[in-house]
Amino acid sequence: MASVTKRFPLRARDFLHAGEASIQVQAFLKTMRLDPGLIRRIAICSYEAEMNAVIHGGNGELEMTLAEDRIVIEVRDEGAGIADIELAMQPGYSTADETAREMGFGAGMGLPNMKTHADELELASAPGRGTRARMIFRRRPPQEKTP
Amino acid sequence: MSPPVRETLYVRFHPERCQGCASCLKVCPTKAIRIRGRKSLCLVDRCIGCGACIGACAAGAITAAVHPVEGIGAGHTAIALVSPVLYAQFPNVMPREVLKALRRLGFHHTIDSSIFLEMFQFAAAEFIRRNRTAAEAPWPLISPVCPAVVRLIAFKFPRLLAHVLPVLRPVALMAREVRDTLLPRIAARGLPAVLYYINPCPTMGAMRTPPGSPPLPLTEVSIGINELYPALRRAVEEAVAEAEPFGREGFEFETCTTGNASLVAMSGGEIATMRIEASMAVSGMQETTAYLSKIEMGLFRDVEYFELRTCREGCLGGVLNAVDKYLAKSNIHRMIHIYGLGRRIPRQSILRLYDRGCFHPEQSPLALAEIFADRKPPLTLAQAAEIERLLGELPGYGCGACGAPDCPTFAEDVVRGLAERDDCVWLSAGTREIRSGRRKDERR
Repeated sequence: MASVTKRFPLRARDFLHAGEASIQVQAFLKTMRLDPGLIRRIAICSYEAEMNAVIHGGNGELEMTLAEDRIVIEVRDEGAGIADIELAMQPGYSTADETAREMGFGAGMGLPNMKTHADELELASAPGRGTRARMIFRRRPPQEKTP
Repeated sequence: MSPPVRETLYVRFHPERCQGCASCLKVCPTKAIRIRGRKSLCLVDRCIGCGACIGACAAGAITAAVHPVEGIGAGHTAIALVSPVLYAQFPNVMPREVLKALRRLGFHHTIDSSIFLEMFQFAAAEFIRRNRTAAEAPWPLISPVCPAVVRLIAFKFPRLLAHVLPVLRPVALMAREVRDTLLPRIAARGLPAVLYYINPCPTMGAMRTPPGSPPLPLTEVSIGINELYPALRRAVEEAVAEAEPFGREGFEFETCTTGNASLVAMSGGEIATMRIEASMAVSGMQETTAYLSKIEMGLFRDVEYFELRTCREGCLGGVLNAVDKYLAKSNIHRMIHIYGLGRRIPRQSILRLYDRGCFHPEQSPLALAEIFADRKPPLTLAQAAEIERLLGELPGYGCGACGAPDCPTFAEDVVRGLAERDDCVWLSAGTREIRSGRRKDERR
């Protein structure tokens, strides 16, 4: 089945460019005329995952794959990793440092938002081994998921 | 993609002057420009009239599609619509002297925009106040004042058209007032009327007539501040020297009396005197685009109102200004020291107009999606994959030698059949080793 993959490098603590990969993903999906509601959900998730990688993650990569039936966003980083995934999923739980919070990030809503807006969220992480967040969005689902 | 053209509503291309430097390609926010055969400039896509290419072209190969400044007032009644940006061109000169000078140049009526800006600001704040608790408006609302911003939204962020504040723009209020109070008087004199928008950018003014009404005895033209400036400057000097009384003013809206309006010429000036709790001002094309992307991603929902301007520093950064934007800004600051800030219309009277629906546009901003939407046919997955593959071969420098603004746009042009693979100097030279080696460094 035909598919397109785009990769964007992410740099740790680069708040100046943070968000640009998601902006490009969003722009690409718009040229492909995907459903605007779907693009919005993807953009929100992609942005949250990208910010997580920039704030906590060490360097990493955002990979977007567009296929006939689905869009997959995968964000991999080489950062500190997550010790307790269940705890990290709690709304408002955050380990972001002062610098990130001063810039308005680190409200502890990243992972919960991703969970809400993606059709599927897979998190793989261990302390010191980085994090991989894989989100799947289905195209033309029988009924649109309303967050 | 529309067929290549040399002129839009907003800009004109003069290929014979083009040096092929590719500067215009880079600044166009809709990537609408291509250079063919080294110097044949053309448009292949939607122009939103921001004027960025005019500012970028050192060869003068791109000019604004404005009306020439000649014969003002000859055989017609000339009405000047003056934005505060015009005052900012003259240091130590008060707006009334500028208006006087305009009359020396042949304008019969000089309409100052300050009263309409104030009405707009009031109506905008009132709309926000009333909808704040109702939560009906999509937050943040976006200022409708800069037409290039609204067209940029229609082209690139159509979903955000719903965020554009549904209040008539100051220039629309101004045009309506002219239509309703001034035109009947002029018509009685028997001369045709010409409405001159004196603009800092290549954007056009628009007169909205109610549907079904007879055509107006009126022509609208847009002229650039820079083209009017040499003659106006002499007239201003004369007007100041003679210090003659203002004399001929007939309507309250023909004078400027507060500093509020002059603030609107610069970035942040629109929101500075509006009473809104959470607002932000952003200027510059790149910055505006970046903020729109973020708003589209659902950020800034705690901001009520965004003032966006595609020109850096606001309207005084427009490409058709005569003086540098920082000088103009300094002139405005001086003007405000003298005039002070303040309102000239009583709150109650604007409130009455608001309740009568006088600020509500007949046409929803959503209608713009029809006019300015991206018309390129959507890419198929196979085409998108082909573009990705081609991108892997391209150098990624964005040199512009192919005539497209950057490699991704070139790749898309090739796949859409609008350019040849060999238009890329790297691909046609066949220096594959150098390319693949450099390409990897570039990407990381």
